[in-house]
Amino acid sequence: MRRADTDGALETVATVNGQERRFSVMPRASLADALREQLGLTGVKVGCEHGICGACTIMVDGVPARSCLMLGVQAHGRTIRTVEGMTGDAGGDGRTLHALQDAFHRHHALQCGFCTPGMLATAQGLLDDNPNPTREEVRETLSGNICRCTGYQTIVDAVMDVAAARRVAAAAADAATPSASREASTANG
Amino acid sequence: MGKGDVAYIRPKSIGVSVPRREDPGLLTGRARYVADIVLPDMLHAAVLRSPIAHGRITSIDVSAAAAMPGVVLVWTGRDVRERCSGLPATMDIPGFVGTVQPVLADDEICFAGEGIAVAVATTRALAEDALEAIVVIFEDYPIVGDVAAAKTAENLANAKVPRNLLYYSDRLSDDVETAFAQAAAKVEGCFRTPRVNASPMEPRGFVARYEWTSKTLTCWSATQMPNLIKTLLAIFLNFPEQNLEVITPFVGGGFGQKAHLHTEEALACLLSIELGRPVSWIEDRQENLLRAPQAKQQVNEMAMAFDSEGRILAMRDSVTTDAGAYNTIPWTALIEGHSGILVATDPYRVPAAALESFSLVTNKCPIGAYRGVGFTGPVLAREILLDRGARALGISPFEIRRRNVLRKEDFPYVSRVGHTIREGTFLETVDKLEAMIDYPAFLERQAAARKEGRYLGLGLSIFSEPTGIGTRTMHFLDSPITSHDTATVRVEPTGKVTVTTGTVTAGQGHHTTLAQIAADAFGIPVEDVTINMGSTKHSVGFGTVASRSAVIGAGTIGRASEMVRVKIRAVAARLLQAEPDEIEMSEGMVHVRGDPGRGMPFAQVVGAIYFADATHPEDFDPALEATAAYDPADIILANGGHAAIVEVDIETGLVRVERMYAVEDCGKMINPVVVEGQIRGGVAQGIGMILLEELIYDANGQLVTATLQDYLLPTADDVPDIEIAHLETPSDLVPAGIKGMGESAMISSPAAVAGAVNDALACLGITIEQFPASPQRIFDAVSAAGKSR
Repeated sequence: MRRADTDGALETVATVNGQERRFSVMPRASLADALREQLGLTGVKVGCEHGICGACTIMVDGVPARSCLMLGVQAHGRTIRTVEGMTGDAGGDGRTLHALQDAFHRHHALQCGFCTPGMLATAQGLLDDNPNPTREEVRETLSGNICRCTGYQTIVDAVMDVAAARRVAAAAADAATPSASREASTANG
Repeated sequence: MGKGDVAYIRPKSIGVSVPRREDPGLLTGRARYVADIVLPDMLHAAVLRSPIAHGRITSIDVSAAAAMPGVVLVWTGRDVRERCSGLPATMDIPGFVGTVQPVLADDEICFAGEGIAVAVATTRALAEDALEAIVVIFEDYPIVGDVAAAKTAENLANAKVPRNLLYYSDRLSDDVETAFAQAAAKVEGCFRTPRVNASPMEPRGFVARYEWTSKTLTCWSATQMPNLIKTLLAIFLNFPEQNLEVITPFVGGGFGQKAHLHTEEALACLLSIELGRPVSWIEDRQENLLRAPQAKQQVNEMAMAFDSEGRILAMRDSVTTDAGAYNTIPWTALIEGHSGILVATDPYRVPAAALESFSLVTNKCPIGAYRGVGFTGPVLAREILLDRGARALGISPFEIRRRNVLRKEDFPYVSRVGHTIREGTFLETVDKLEAMIDYPAFLERQAAARKEGRYLGLGLSIFSEPTGIGTRTMHFLDSPITSHDTATVRVEPTGKVTVTTGTVTAGQGHHTTLAQIAADAFGIPVEDVTINMGSTKHSVGFGTVASRSAVIGAGTIGRASEMVRVKIRAVAARLLQAEPDEIEMSEGMVHVRGDPGRGMPFAQVVGAIYFADATHPEDFDPALEATAAYDPADIILANGGHAAIVEVDIETGLVRVERMYAVEDCGKMINPVVVEGQIRGGVAQGIGMILLEELIYDANGQLVTATLQDYLLPTADDVPDIEIAHLETPSDLVPAGIKGMGESAMISSPAAVAGAVNDALACLGITIEQFPASPQRIFDAVSAAGKSR
């Protein structure tokens, strides 16, 4: 049973960007507002508050979710990753752009930047699901996130670029793995 | 030295697609927008918006609201009127009717969504709760729902506007009847562009903090025009301007919508002054759709006459603007149809024209600036009529444009409204688009598709755009506004350069592109320059609107840099034993012209000025800081064109945009990738306006498209890849030959998309003149054509 404060706020515990965070949130507050106001994660952007624009998209338990359509109290027991945590992903040092962020930068896939955190989350979810997407599949998946500046083309370019780079890296790793294991067995022998 | 002087800058970093330095902050969520600002003791304001479109308040009771938890203050229009009598907007031209927008309406309410009360509480949620406890009784007045009703003047939309007419102008009344009588082909139409909302992804927002001890008012605004709103707030709130600062944090898109003084901005200031605490007003999406300035709703009744060769003999255009209930500040209703007729003929030789404009008030949210402003409507009408003329005469859409565009031998060409056009690559644009599309191949594909019952269409549009808008252009647009901007350039002791500019950025990338300009002004690497912007404390300026910041940035930075370069040249001349006018700066060196070996590092010369008195000429002023103004000496004209290929499904009425093309000549490009980003974003908005977006008011004046589920913005599925080609005609009015750009795709791409829809359906005898060309409208047109056959 979760404890309610005197003013009706509920104590909520979640793993946020790799750390356990404990915060009080009013039952009616959206997750977007809770993250912004209780935890100061203002990289979560509020664009429409009715689930259409996608600017507030974050990762919840590894899957993209619109934080304006969830309540803050629903974060309890979940793992949340906002754009602020992206540079620390996959062993990142916190000061180096994630591959998707870097691709957005190189392809001029952002202008005002307001839709960008949500776009990055949706793009990450897409690539986790489908490492080898076509341009049409990327457009289809990104169609839940509205960008008013770029015309989308360079965002699609950036996502395709990361997908291609991951395939190259995976192929290189595949090629390297057997020889690495051979060396290991030789050493053991 | 005059404000229009052009300093010499040799492009080196200019022209390179330098990756944007603002990106890391934006990509990591670390960049701060106005909604991210939290100040100690800050309160939140929420505005009660009128549920009725026209009427007055007979009683309003805020006592229950004021007693609610967390609520600090509730005000009605009467409370505000004591402190500010409203925001007047007018143009000083004969016959123009100015209006005053009340900060909160306390007498006549003129549109649904107009603010009538405000609650201030410790959170936005509590402030919104309080609004629900305000009890209001209204008396309804008759509604003027559209321009047809406004024109009859049977009822008034706004009691202060006689005959519902803000402005009428028969701007040009050549004899066109003779030409129409002699024409080999005459085409005409009544084109209705939709009422739209620019819909930046970040809604509007403003934070005001009044400090009673120092009597200072500090504001944070998601605005494109910080200096202008500072001055207007000082005037309208009677606040000492020297104690007023407007700070612009990162802005999540503007597109013109944030280039106004909004009533809520004045309101937040008044509340903070009253309460002595910071007050934040951040609108939600519904408020944005209801109350942020709307745009583009025009009716263009246009006709064109051609000779048998397809040459334009005359044009007639009567444009009517649905201005909504008030003029917005600073543009007024002139920004729509009236500015449109002034460019209606522009890229073409039109020997005779009759152009008139009506700006009418209705019971809708006021219109204001949106990318491409009022140019979009007449350009759309003109380009569709050119296609019709071509069809009537049996020539290609490219050929009819080739026969009419201004050519090199025509320059300087004075348009019938008095615009002297000195340059432009109009003919080259037509040729380029035709080559990009491969027109013969398209015709084959179109014919083959028709045999399968598929309807492909091609649309074209050729435009010219007055860019870098300053005093000369504003005057040409019948808006007697004088403006200038400043930049301050300082060379630091270690040879690095700091620039402070009045320009702000809403995604355009000025931190990067203006650094490229300043780097080339001193011949140093772009990394050695930092651009400061975003506070009215340091520079003045008109704002980031109308494709002006590249031009204004180059002009101001160029002039200020030259004032500093004079000092550097004077000392370097002594050190290098040369004359000052022999000295130039490049590759990080200050050297004798044509002899890079006879030079020394830039930082070394600068260091000498700061730290080695012996190197100074007599009576030397070592200040390596200068502020300069700039205002273009004349209208700067960019040009280009767009093309669209669409497929219309006549069973469902759905239009799919297959491919878009853009040609842009904005002079010397500072950063080509940034230029292309502006084009692509504008084209997406053009597709939205022609196929999806429409603010719909019902018979009671209620906005029925008040969410993004109803007001449809284009998504990644709706916008195709866009092929872009560049032409470069350098301007001699701007350093490095730069012209501005950014607006162009919303001036001209809507016409291309609209033309393509019409081309697809022309074989069925269908014309589409009302936009957006929604599935319903197309389906109805196809059904009607089927019945009539």
